[in-house]
Amino acid sequence: MRPEETSRRPSVFGKAFAASIPVMAGYGTMGFAAGVLLAVNGGISCPALWGALSSAAFISGPLQYLFVDWVHTSLALVSVLAIVLCVNLRYSLYGLSLLETFRGARFWTRFYLIAGITDETYALEVACDLPPAEKRRYCLFLTALDHFYWVLGVTVGAFAGEALPFPSEGIDFAMTSLFLVILTEQCRTRVNRIPALVGGVSAVVMFALLVLLIGGARARADMLIPSMVLAIVILLSIRNRLEPLTTNN
Amino acid sequence: MLVIILAVGVLSWLIRALPFLLFGRGERPPKAVTYIGRVLSPAAIAMLSVYCYAGYVNARPPLEHLAMLAEFAAGAVTVVLQWRWRNPPLSIAVGTILYMVLVRFF
Repeated sequence: MRPEETSRRPSVFGKAFAASIPVMAGYGTMGFAAGVLLAVNGGISCPALWGALSSAAFISGPLQYLFVDWVHTSLALVSVLAIVLCVNLRYSLYGLSLLETFRGARFWTRFYLIAGITDETYALEVACDLPPAEKRRYCLFLTALDHFYWVLGVTVGAFAGEALPFPSEGIDFAMTSLFLVILTEQCRTRVNRIPALVGGVSAVVMFALLVLLIGGARARADMLIPSMVLAIVILLSIRNRLEPLTTNN
Repeated sequence: MLVIILAVGVLSWLIRALPFLLFGRGERPPKAVTYIGRVLSPAAIAMLSVYCYAGYVNARPPLEHLAMLAEFAAGAVTVVLQWRWRNPPLSIAVGTILYMVLVRFF
């Protein structure tokens, strides 16, 4: 490779940073909103401190929003851990498709990469098509960047929530928007459309069922695992039709 | 509160690490596992989107469910913007602001 070529090629960090810009926006708004909510609804002193600590310890939008709820209502630790299990199972299943990607990284690198698996980080890691060694560095930079945006967003949001009068009604729609945006991008690829449909339908079915069985408030909190189980069952049953399409990618 | 944060943090890491602990030694996971890993992510994102809307279903008094105009309109606008212009900050910002405005009326 000639010298002038290397200086023009974007570095792995540069690529990771460029890819993470949408996440910066998403985590910035989501984290900011979560921080504001923590300050406004949490009823705790020093929301910025707890916002920073919690967002650093667990990177998860749902958990962060739920954290606001737990702090506010002093939910029993057992219930808290049950929800943590439900929310993180999704991330652990992401880990399945990242096994190959993280293979060969050093222990603490793998440790951090695993800790940082989130929807957005995962989506970008899966979309990356660099060769293995570079891909690992890409994922590490990406995880660190996304983590940083998140912690920054939540902390700044908590400060802002304390200092400014915020119209808190409706700002949490940022989370919904973010998921819809990710979904839209995934559905540009035809192969993803059927799994998306399966996931969506499973969720609707399970939510409706749970609403009938245990009422709306708990239905929403409890719908995640049943939906995922139903989706997996359906996906496995159509595996013969669907798998050839996925392996051609 | 520190207890909650630590417990949630540790547990989150453990659960996320499960596949690596189970399959990390170099053996290949069974093909079914690989297939699910590939196919689960769009399903999960779709499920999460429904999960968000489920929250809005709860937030409204019972008879107003069909009139979730604000949520569906803002959601539709978000999707259309993203499909057409591929600009996540734009899609998210417009969708959220639209929702915040609409929800005052609907």
